[in-house]
Amino acid sequence: MDADSDVALDILITNVVCVFRTRCHLNLRKIALEGANVIYKRDVGKVLMKLRKPRITATIWSSGKIICTGATSEEEAKFGARRLARSLQKLGFQVTFSKAIRAADTQGFIFVIFTDFKVVNVLAVCNMPFEIRLPEFTKNNRPHASYEPELHPAVCYRIKSLRATLQIFSTGSITVTGPNVKAVATAVEQVYPFVFESRKEIL
Amino acid sequence: MTGRVCRGCGGTDIELDAARGDAVCTGCGSVLEDNIIVSEVQFVENSGGGSSAVGQFVSLDGAGKTPTLGGGFHVNLGKESRAQTLQNGRRQIHHLGNQLQLNQHCLDTAFNFFKMAVSKHLTRGRKMAHVIAACLYLVCRTEGTPHMLLDLSDLLQVNVYVLGKTFLLLARELCINAPAIDPCLYIPRFAHLLEFGDKNHEVSMTALRLLQRMKRDWMHTGRRPSGLCGAALLVAARMHDFRRTVKEVISVVKVCESTLRKRLTEFEDTPTSQLTVDEFMKVDLEEECDPPSYTAGQRKLRMKQLEQVLSKQLEEVEGEISSYQDAIEIELENSRPKAKGALASLTKDGSVEDTTSSLFGEEDAEDEELEAAASHLNKDFYQELLGGGIPGSSEAAGGPEGGGRPPALESLLGPLPTAASLGISDSIRECISLQSRDPKDASGDGELDLSGIDDLEIDRYILNEAEARVKAELWMRENAEYLREQREKEARIAKERELGIYKEHKPKKSCKRREPIQASTAGEAIEKMLEQKKISSKINYSVLRDLDSKGGGGPHKEDARPQERAGARKLSRRKTPASRSGADPVASVGKRLRPMVSTQPANKKVAVGEALLPSPPSLGAEPVRPTAVVVESGPVSYHPEEDADEEEPDEEDGEPCVSALQMMGGDDYGCDGDDDDGY
Repeated sequence: MDADSDVALDILITNVVCVFRTRCHLNLRKIALEGANVIYKRDVGKVLMKLRKPRITATIWSSGKIICTGATSEEEAKFGARRLARSLQKLGFQVTFSKAIRAADTQGFIFVIFTDFKVVNVLAVCNMPFEIRLPEFTKNNRPHASYEPELHPAVCYRIKSLRATLQIFSTGSITVTGPNVKAVATAVEQVYPFVFESRKEIL
Repeated sequence: MTGRVCRGCGGTDIELDAARGDAVCTGCGSVLEDNIIVSEVQFVENSGGGSSAVGQFVSLDGAGKTPTLGGGFHVNLGKESRAQTLQNGRRQIHHLGNQLQLNQHCLDTAFNFFKMAVSKHLTRGRKMAHVIAACLYLVCRTEGTPHMLLDLSDLLQVNVYVLGKTFLLLARELCINAPAIDPCLYIPRFAHLLEFGDKNHEVSMTALRLLQRMKRDWMHTGRRPSGLCGAALLVAARMHDFRRTVKEVISVVKVCESTLRKRLTEFEDTPTSQLTVDEFMKVDLEEECDPPSYTAGQRKLRMKQLEQVLSKQLEEVEGEISSYQDAIEIELENSRPKAKGALASLTKDGSVEDTTSSLFGEEDAEDEELEAAASHLNKDFYQELLGGGIPGSSEAAGGPEGGGRPPALESLLGPLPTAASLGISDSIRECISLQSRDPKDASGDGELDLSGIDDLEIDRYILNEAEARVKAELWMRENAEYLREQREKEARIAKERELGIYKEHKPKKSCKRREPIQASTAGEAIEKMLEQKKISSKINYSVLRDLDSKGGGGPHKEDARPQERAGARKLSRRKTPASRSGADPVASVGKRLRPMVSTQPANKKVAVGEALLPSPPSLGAEPVRPTAVVVESGPVSYHPEEDADEEEPDEEDGEPCVSALQMMGGDDYGCDGDDDDGY
């Protein structure tokens, strides 16, 4: 099938989740009291901080682990994470510019080190210009595809090698989640021929 | 095989006698083995004279039944864990399967699935009930029985999505491809439940045809099969003059009313719905329809396009409006009588949109910048306002009406609120400046790169003192419940710590096994045990305590009497009470008591009872009350005259006589019924 010829499918990235660590203990109470844009959840022990500029929400634990969600691209995620570290710094924790080693400061401040930045999950949406016959598609792609109409209206297609999951709806819209943007794009490319086979011809 | 080499002489000639089970060396005659286990078949003679082989049937699965002495309440003891799991699973499968009316073949298949799941360790970390349900549902799917996952979740009272998750996992791990559900499978079942009587078959056939039509019309993809069935059956019933209300159908089919209505509406949209009943039975329309979600999507697209067209037209109209406004304003200015003195100085002749801001007066030169910004923004504001109004109107609105709107709005609302009057000038400024700052924020490389990060904005995020206090106050108030609970918990823990009986509470299920009673003496142990079991409040603990004491004949009469009685019996013994200044028979009783006491505190009462009764055999009314309650237990010598006396002044009047064993809860000899948990 002419799957790769002139089809320019635009894949829209809707969410990028990343994690990073500040190698020091964070005082959640202080952050909660002094930040204007934070929600303190004491019962689970975390603080939610929302930034406006790259629109992201970060979950901060006292161990220094931070999870950042809501960005729309990988660079934006990294940028938002850095901003977050910067605001933590302003709240009274000192940030170093050294990534790997914890440098000792003469004044003895607590260092917020920006390390272990990693994009963990990327969620993207893509629209096919045709509808898809789901039962047929499931039959042809047996081990990877699973369809349970009683539970969810979409077919769940998993690609183990890329660690990506695609949810294929009968209207032709596909939701992809994967570990990074490249995997997501590859996944869509991989699944396109199969989906094309089971499409519904518009009369 | 043993006995290859004789230990004594080193000879290799060993003779094995199977019957006697011996291995004897023929060289030196030493017996090398005795009681060899043989696999001979033995026969016994029946009462009828025939003979039958000795043996037991052993099941293929497990280790076989171990013969239990004295009752079968330790069924699972002695088997290995895997066998227990499988047996348990089998039992549960049969139980559930019978409720679903599955035949034996299905149940066996389900059990096979279960065995596979266990061998792949899929039962770990999951509730057994879920795994069983998933196995059963898998069987239902492969066999094509009309059972829904909803039925199973109804039986188990578990969320259907949780079951679905387990089911999907099972199917994936076992590499079993469950065939897709065909809604046609459910029709006979639902039709039966709806009770169509004689015409059941006809209605079912009609419903089937309807379903097939729906399939071709693309209504069935991604939908719950039960919803489609419901709609098809409803229509089929009406076609055959059966009055089945929506509510009845819902209760059978288990979908929501709105779902059913939606399916009916969708069906209504298809051309098939226009056919009459007869036509439908005869003719099958060739054309197919688009799926409903597709048509909905198309509608949205069309709306968007319309909007765009309209907004373009709006822009053209905008220019006209502003020119009109200017003209009007100028006219008004000229025609307006001069304002009163005080206000005159305050009124400004700003641009058109600032008519309201002129009333506020105090603004300075910076206002002019604001005005420029505000006028710029107001144009956008118009567009948004009007553009928001357009999709609400019907598609027939069209151009001329859209063009006619803006002036109408203007005249109705008067001068529209400006940014300044709304007091949002600050945020607008911020937004504008933010936009200009955007290009600077290129993500740089390297470690915490502060280049693109704007400190000002971040500073705004930090509250000052007063604000921090207010926020803390608010948070406290909101989470008061939780904080209070925490405080109470801490107080409780502190108190318990003081009292020294603080136990670390683990958030696990509480196991039923009670802690073994730690007591220094037997008497204390009895007390504690009785407290735990809460048998009777009328027991005289002091007596119990003294039973075991060596010396110290208490000031109790009851105690003294056994002593003296015991002493009266035998002369030789009388010395010993004197010398030991304590009842030796009591001590001997105590000695007898003690071994029983240490091993089985639960049976203390029994022991006490039986120990005491023999010791003063010729006693009259035995005033030791609690032991009197013991009717019988073990080797107790029967003293009718005493018992008659003892039992009458029984304190437990209303209670029927129960044995001590029963009172203490019969069957717990230390494994308190937690066998079921042990797989």
